Amino acid sequence: MNQQQLCKPWEHRSSRRQMLGATAAGGLGLGTFLQPCVADELAKNDKQVLLIWLDGGMSQLESWDPKPNTEFGGPFRAIPTSVPGTHVCELLQHTAKQMHHLAVLRSVCTQDNSHSAGVARINRGDPKNRGVDYPFLGSAVAKLMGPTSSGMPPYIWIKPYGGGFKASDAGFLGAKYGALALGDGKPPDNLLLNKSISLEENELRNELRQKFNDRYAAGRRKEWTDANSYVYELAQKLMDRSDLFDESSFTDKDRERYGKHELGRHLLLARRTLETGVRFVKVNSYHWDSHGDNFNACDSLIRQFDQPFAALIEDLHDRSMLDNVLVIVMSEFGRTPKINSHVGRDHWPEAWSIAMAGAGIKKGVVVGKTNDQGTFVDGQPHDIGDLFHTWFKAMGVPPDKMEYINRGQPLPVAHDECGPIAELLA
Amino acid sequence: MTGFQLSQQIVCGVFVCILMTSSSTAGDPPLSPRIDELIAARSAGQSPAPLADDAEFLRRVWLDLAGRIPNADETRRFLDNSDPNKRSQMIDQLLAAPTYAERMQELFHVVLMERRGDNEKWKQYLRTAFEQNKPWDQIVRELLNPDAQDETRHGAAFFYAKRIEANGQNPIDHPGLTRDVGRLFLGADLQCAQCHNHLFIDDYKQRDFQGLYSVYLNIAAKNEADLPGVTEKPMKKKLEFVSVFDPTQNETGPRIPFGAEIPIPEPAADAPADAAPVSVLALLANEFPASQNVLFSKNIANRLWFVMMGRGLVHPLDLHHSGNPPSHPELLDLLAAEFVAHQYDIKWMLRQLALSQTYQRSSRYPVESASVENSASAVDAEAILPQTYLVANEKRMLAEQLLHSTLQATGNLERLQQPTEEGKPNKELVDLTTRYVAAFANEPREPEDQINPTVKGALFSLNDDTLLQLLSRQPGNLIDRLLAMTDENLLAEELYLSVFTRRPTEEERSELAAWLTKHCERREKAIATWTWSMLTSMEFVVNH
Repeated sequence: MNQQQLCKPWEHRSSRRQMLGATAAGGLGLGTFLQPCVADELAKNDKQVLLIWLDGGMSQLESWDPKPNTEFGGPFRAIPTSVPGTHVCELLQHTAKQMHHLAVLRSVCTQDNSHSAGVARINRGDPKNRGVDYPFLGSAVAKLMGPTSSGMPPYIWIKPYGGGFKASDAGFLGAKYGALALGDGKPPDNLLLNKSISLEENELRNELRQKFNDRYAAGRRKEWTDANSYVYELAQKLMDRSDLFDESSFTDKDRERYGKHELGRHLLLARRTLETGVRFVKVNSYHWDSHGDNFNACDSLIRQFDQPFAALIEDLHDRSMLDNVLVIVMSEFGRTPKINSHVGRDHWPEAWSIAMAGAGIKKGVVVGKTNDQGTFVDGQPHDIGDLFHTWFKAMGVPPDKMEYINRGQPLPVAHDECGPIAELLA
Repeated sequence: MTGFQLSQQIVCGVFVCILMTSSSTAGDPPLSPRIDELIAARSAGQSPAPLADDAEFLRRVWLDLAGRIPNADETRRFLDNSDPNKRSQMIDQLLAAPTYAERMQELFHVVLMERRGDNEKWKQYLRTAFEQNKPWDQIVRELLNPDAQDETRHGAAFFYAKRIEANGQNPIDHPGLTRDVGRLFLGADLQCAQCHNHLFIDDYKQRDFQGLYSVYLNIAAKNEADLPGVTEKPMKKKLEFVSVFDPTQNETGPRIPFGAEIPIPEPAADAPADAAPVSVLALLANEFPASQNVLFSKNIANRLWFVMMGRGLVHPLDLHHSGNPPSHPELLDLLAAEFVAHQYDIKWMLRQLALSQTYQRSSRYPVESASVENSASAVDAEAILPQTYLVANEKRMLAEQLLHSTLQATGNLERLQQPTEEGKPNKELVDLTTRYVAAFANEPREPEDQINPTVKGALFSLNDDTLLQLLSRQPGNLIDRLLAMTDENLLAEELYLSVFTRRPTEEERSELAAWLTKHCERREKAIATWTWSMLTSMEFVVNH
C-alpha cells in the first residue's frame, strides 16, 4: 500500500475542530494550571525560543557526531572546538568556535523514518496516542506561555516560499495558536498603515471598534469577541514593528557574517524578531534530504547552516540574550551511517544528534554517545519526548504542573512516560 | 355543479389522499413548534433567552436566506410594519427571492468544495438546482453519478473531478474523495478506517471505507476546456485489503458505508460484446440517497440545522456515531423523518427551522438577570452551553456574506452588481471577492464551521485599499447620503439602519453627535471613521 495513503497516529482524533470552542474559551494566553502559583510565575517569564527546523534529516556524521576514519565516516575531518576534547565535523568550522555556548545530545533515538511521520512526530514531541491532534512545539509554547510582555504575536515562522497564517501547527489548541508565517521573510499582506489614515485616526478608529465590541459583548458569550479583539491587538503590534521587515536596515557587516543565502537572511531576520520580543520564532530550511551525493550536498547545506548559526549564537550572547532565548536545531531524523550506492545517506532515526543552547541549558556539554561506527546509541537512548520535557523545564514551564484541557479531558503537555534529561539542564 | 367543478373536486380529493399517504406525519402539528418542544424538553431547568427583537431577527434571516443584510429602507419598512405575521411573511419573501438561490449556491459551494477552487459550470449547476428547489436526494444522485451528456447537469462533475485531478507527482487522491463522500453525505469521517477498523469509533469499519473506495479507484478526471468530467472503468473484481493490525486477507465489492455490499454487475449472457458495461457509479448513486439510508437523511438534516442554528445536533458535523450522540436525539430523528416525508425539500426544511422560536431567540442573554448578585438564579450567557440552543448561537459569516453585507451597508452593492456591457461581472466586484476570500476564508480543505478571527483578516480590515475605498464619497453611496444630512438624529438613524440593521440607542445617538461636533472640521473623515469601526466590530462581522 502506498505510504502516503496511510493514516497517521495523530489523525486518530475525534476532531480538532470540535476542540476549538472548548480551548478558545480557556483563555487567550495561558494554559491550564494544576497549581495556580505557576500562572503568576509564568506571567513574569519572558523567555523565548528559536527553533531552527531543517526539514528532512541533517547528517549527524557530517555535523555534530563525526566518525572520521571509520567504515561509514565519510571524507570529512573532525576538528577541535572551543570546548577542549569536543570535536565536530569540519563543515561546522564557525560553530566550532561557539561550542562553549552549546549543548549537543548525541544519543537521540526516535522511531519514524518516513517524512510524513517524522515531521509531525518530532514537532509534536511524540505525545502518547490519545486520538487527538497535538500541537507543534511553537503552538504549544504560544498556548502555555502566551505573548511576552512585548505583546508581539507569540508564534512567528520565517520560511521559504509563501507565507500567511498557518493554523495547522496548532492541532487541537485551535487556529488561534497557529503560526504567523513570513514567506521568504517578507512581511504579511496589509502590514503598513494605509496611507489615507493618520496615526491619530488609526488610534481613534480602534478605540471606537473596541467600544462597539464591548457593547456587543454585554450579555453574550465572550469567547469570540475576545478572540476578535486579540487578533486586532496582534495586528496592531505587527504594524507598530513593521521596521522588523526592513532588510535595508541591516548592516553590510551583518549581512556578510550571516551570508546572503536564504537561511542566512532568515536567521538574521530571526535575530531581530527575537529582539522585538516574539515568544517563539521558527526558521526552517527545506531539502535536507541527501539520498544521493550526500557529501557534496552536506558541503553546501551544512556550511549554509554553520555560518549564520554561529553568527547568531555569538550575537545573542553579545546582546546578553542567550540566557533568555532557548535555541534548538533539529530535523526529522538523522541519516544512515551506511553510504548507499548513490553515495547518499538515507533516513536514520536510530542514532542522531540534536543541538541546543541558551535559556536553562548547560553550556559546552556533549551528552550521550553513539558506538564507534555511529550506527546505534551506546548507552541510554533518548526519544523526542524526553527533549520536550527538557525544553519545557529549561523554559520554566513545569510539565508536571500544567496540562491542557481538551473538551473536559486533561491532557499532559509532554509525553507522560518521558522525562527531562538532567545532564542537559543548567 | 358543472362537470369541470366536479372533476376539480375529485382531483383535489385524490391529491389530498396522496399527501396523506405519502407523508406519515400529515395531520401532525407543523414541524416548527415541535422543534421548540423538543428543545425545551432538554433545557434542564435553564430558561431560554427572550425572542430576538425585530431588528435582530431581520438581520439574521437575511444573512441566512439571502446571504447579506437588508438595506436601510428594507429594514425601516420591516421595523415599522405592525402586521403580527410579518416574520413569517419575511421568511417566505426571502425564500421566493432570487437571492435565495445565490445564497445557497455560495453556501453549498463552500460546504461541498471546501475552497478547492471554483468553476463556472459548477456555479451554474448549483444555482439552477436551488432555483428549481431540486430535492437533496436528486442533487446527491447527480453529484455521485455526473452525466457528461446532460447539459443541465454538466457542472455536477466538478465535485468528483476537482478532487481527483492530477496534482504534481502526488498520487491521485482517491482516498480523499472516499473520505469526503462519507463526511459530506453521511456525516461519517472514515479516514481512520482506511487501514484498520477505527480504533475509537466502533461503528466505523475498514470494509466501509474500502467498499466505497473500490468504486472510486475506477474513476478518473477527464476535464475538457472548462467542462469538468469523469470517466469510469468497469469494475472487474472485488478489492482486496488487509488491516495493518491483522494480516487476514479481506475483500469487498462496492459498498455504501454501513450498508450491504452491492454485487459487481455481470454483463447479461446474451449481451452483445460491445454493449456498454453496467456503471457501478450509477448503482451507487441510485442506492446512496435512499430513505432506508438513515445516516443520509440525518446528515443533511443536521447540516441544515447547523446552517440555521450555528451548531450541529451532532457535532462535529462529520462524526455521527454511537459514541458521539446528538444533543437532542429525538429532534434529529424527527427532522430526518420529516425531511424524507417532504421529499428532501431543502426550502421547506429551512422555512420550518426559520419559523421556530429556537431560531428566533436572541443571541443575547438579558444583562439584568446576569447582574443579580449573590443570587442562585443569577446566570449569564457563559453558563448556557451552545448545544442547548437556549440562546441563539453566533455564526460565522462566509467571506461572500461579509463582502455582500459590507457592500450593502456602504451603499455600493447596486453599483457593483451591474454587469459590464458585455454581460460580464463587474471587475471591481470580482477583485473584491478575491481579496475577501483570501482574507477571510479558511485554507482549502478546511471546513468553515467556526468563527475564526485571524491576524490576516484584521490586517486586511485595517489597511486594505479597496475596502477603505468603499468609505469614500461616491454618488449615492452611504457616505454621500449621510453627508447630505444636516439633522444628526436622522444621520444616526440612517447609519445604524444601514450598518447594524437597527435603530441607534439614545446613548449611541448622543455619542455620534458629540463625535461629529468634535470633528466638525473634517466631517467626511469623521463619518467614515465611525462607519469603519462599526463595519469591523463584532456586531457586524458575525451573524448573531
